[in-house]
Amino acid sequence: MVTSFEAIKNFFRKRATILYPEEKIEPSATFRGMLSFERSLCIGCGLCWRVCPASAIKQDRDDKGARPVFLLDRCIFCHICVEICPKKAIKASRDRGSLVMDKSSLRVK
Amino acid sequence: MMNFLRMLLYPGMVYILTLAMFLEWLDRKLVAKFQNRVGPMYVGPLGLLQPLADFLKLLSKESIIPAGSDRILFNICPITAFVVITLAVSFIPMVSVRGLLSTEGDLIVVLALLTIYLLLVYTSGASPPSRYSQIGAARAALMLLGFDLPLMMSSISVAVIAGSFRLSDIVAQGRYYIVGLHFIGFLIFLVAAQAELDRLPFDIPEAESEIVSGWLVEYSSWRLALLRLAKNMEFLLLTGLAVNLYLGGPVGPSPPSLEPFLQPFYFILKLVSVTFLLSLVRASFARLRIDQFVSLGWHYLLPLSLIYLVMTIVLVN
Amino acid sequence: MGVYLPMGPQHPLHPEATLVKLRVEGEHVVDADVDASFVHRGIEKALEHKTYTQGLYLAERICGICNVAHTTCYTTNVESLAGIEAPYRALYLRLAVEELARIHSHLLWLGLFAHTMGFETLFMLAFRDREPVLDLMEEITGGRVTTGYNVIGGVRRDVDPGLVFKIKGVLTQLKERILKYKELFESDPVIQARTRGVGYLSKNEAGELLAVGPVARASAIARDVRIDDPYLTHEEVPFNVIVYDTCDAWGRAMVRLDEILESINMVQYTLDHLPSGEVRVKVPPFFRPPPGEMSSRVEAPRGSLLHYVKSDGSDRPVRYRVRTPTLANLASVVTMLRSRNGKIVHIADVPVIFSSIDPCICCTARVTIFDERGHVLEKPLNELLDMRRGR
Repeated sequence: MVTSFEAIKNFFRKRATILYPEEKIEPSATFRGMLSFERSLCIGCGLCWRVCPASAIKQDRDDKGARPVFLLDRCIFCHICVEICPKKAIKASRDRGSLVMDKSSLRVK
Repeated sequence: MMNFLRMLLYPGMVYILTLAMFLEWLDRKLVAKFQNRVGPMYVGPLGLLQPLADFLKLLSKESIIPAGSDRILFNICPITAFVVITLAVSFIPMVSVRGLLSTEGDLIVVLALLTIYLLLVYTSGASPPSRYSQIGAARAALMLLGFDLPLMMSSISVAVIAGSFRLSDIVAQGRYYIVGLHFIGFLIFLVAAQAELDRLPFDIPEAESEIVSGWLVEYSSWRLALLRLAKNMEFLLLTGLAVNLYLGGPVGPSPPSLEPFLQPFYFILKLVSVTFLLSLVRASFARLRIDQFVSLGWHYLLPLSLIYLVMTIVLVN
Repeated sequence: MGVYLPMGPQHPLHPEATLVKLRVEGEHVVDADVDASFVHRGIEKALEHKTYTQGLYLAERICGICNVAHTTCYTTNVESLAGIEAPYRALYLRLAVEELARIHSHLLWLGLFAHTMGFETLFMLAFRDREPVLDLMEEITGGRVTTGYNVIGGVRRDVDPGLVFKIKGVLTQLKERILKYKELFESDPVIQARTRGVGYLSKNEAGELLAVGPVARASAIARDVRIDDPYLTHEEVPFNVIVYDTCDAWGRAMVRLDEILESINMVQYTLDHLPSGEVRVKVPPFFRPPPGEMSSRVEAPRGSLLHYVKSDGSDRPVRYRVRTPTLANLASVVTMLRSRNGKIVHIADVPVIFSSIDPCICCTARVTIFDERGHVLEKPLNELLDMRRGR
């Protein structure tokens, strides 16, 4: 009986679901999302790829020395690299996820 | 030619199928509303075409017959079930006091066809070798003992008081049997119909979280499509029967000249209100266990319907 | 004897790969066994290859729902091994987030439990009411489910007064809903019929089979790590251990519903009495704890959770061991599933009983060892040793 009343109340309530592709929930201001990388700030200290628990950051070389490559499809959003980067070259965004058509776009240099 | 079109289009097969699919949509939408969801949305306006889309989708699936099943039964059961239930539906007066088919004592015919359909449910569950399916079939047969008699008795009581076993005669009297004593009959009918339709709290033969989907589990492709359509028709049949027996059928206040237009409208209106009740029940309970259901049937439903039948007979004489 | 009826590893009852092997006669279950070895992921071994800082994120992923319990356990464990002291405020915040996680875990369980009874509406409503809690988690920690909140040396973020106000508002609303559900469980005839006396586990049996968490507490055993072995600031936060003596699935449901209410009170008390100060001490990323062993226990939503670590002085553990509550409860559930002492178990009761322990198989999965003919070894370690010795 309790549920019947509840059901009738629900009948007049606004829906609790969202119609996903048309409506999207805005992530909260503190959401830990995708990483972004400012290559010009990087000094190549190597902390990020040594600390990454998911091996999502690989070491790469260019003319300035060692630089990280981010394989964002492996990223587990733990953000240790964001915290550990001495030059704040790695930044966190509120962007939710790695849903892309082209996997190579998740390889950020 | 006119007669053929009448059988095929309105108020014939196409109309009946449309109505059956509409009721499935309505039921899904209502239950979704009760659960604070939205239900079907995308196929057609407000998702109205969703049942049709489901039907077509199932037709396009690969047809699989599980190894070791009784091939003949496995193929025949869905077709027969659909034919039997469609035949039963065509006796229901929907657009006027006369059904598509009408004969003396057609209420008995409808109830008999319904029981045949339920036996077909049993055979279709028993033909594949899957254990889930076998258990579902056994449960369906056991359920039949619990609700079939109350359903028949509550229907026959109305026929007794109306003095005719012909649906069009019962409807033509233009009486609403829902008031007073017959409200009990209406409630018994609804409970039994809910059980007959395998809907919560009585969806024991299908019981998704226990035996996957019971007697339906091995069916796919056109067989599943037909069985599902047959279930929709069964829904239409039972709600239609409830409307005709207890709510006066398509009859309502209208000037004689407007009757062909208003009577289908009244019928659908009453159908929707009965569906609302059935959906509300479906949304408000958990599933009973089979032994609990059978004891409910024999301890409460059957004695109550017997008392109701005896009281109506006493009342008539 | 009886017909073999498998439920799983793919079955609507199980969200995860579990096999419940039943022997049935008609509708009655005569014998039952549970196989939970389908999703073994080798996490304990993998933890030996991660540094302590990295291992935290692997430990977090042992279980999705009780990840806060796992990280709390991991951080407490490693911190006491390495002699790191988390700030006082961080302990309070950890407790608050742990209780929030308990709330959403129990609400998820409520939905799944309703689903196993076929109660679709309650399933939908429980998930609807869980959503605000997840939103709070996202706002506090940065992740909806996988929070990543606890770090070695404290917690990652502080809460500000505005957020505290919001949390309290949401929880006050949630409290009303939970009271509704309690009323529902106490009054609904179908729920009563389906859960009362189902999955009976007497106090003695629960004690012998070492049931933990709500399963033990519904069998009148007041076993709760938060009281027995406080690991955060549980001495300072008042709460009751919920105990029911009905020993059945209904009791387990009521224990969980009452625990949600307790957790709501705990979160509100914690947020009212937050000490001031830092929330995190700096810990070097590749710290080396001294050689030694340490273990810690945490009351996860499903029961007591144990982590054990052994260090040899390097930056990675030599051995890491996790014992999850579901593993402890599997023995109980197998006992419950068997018809015994005049208590008949029906096929329809199996989903209710199995989900009443709130099974979480992915964190529980253990290796099953087969011989070359495909027979499961009864005592795998002994037999393996025998094989190696050539017997």
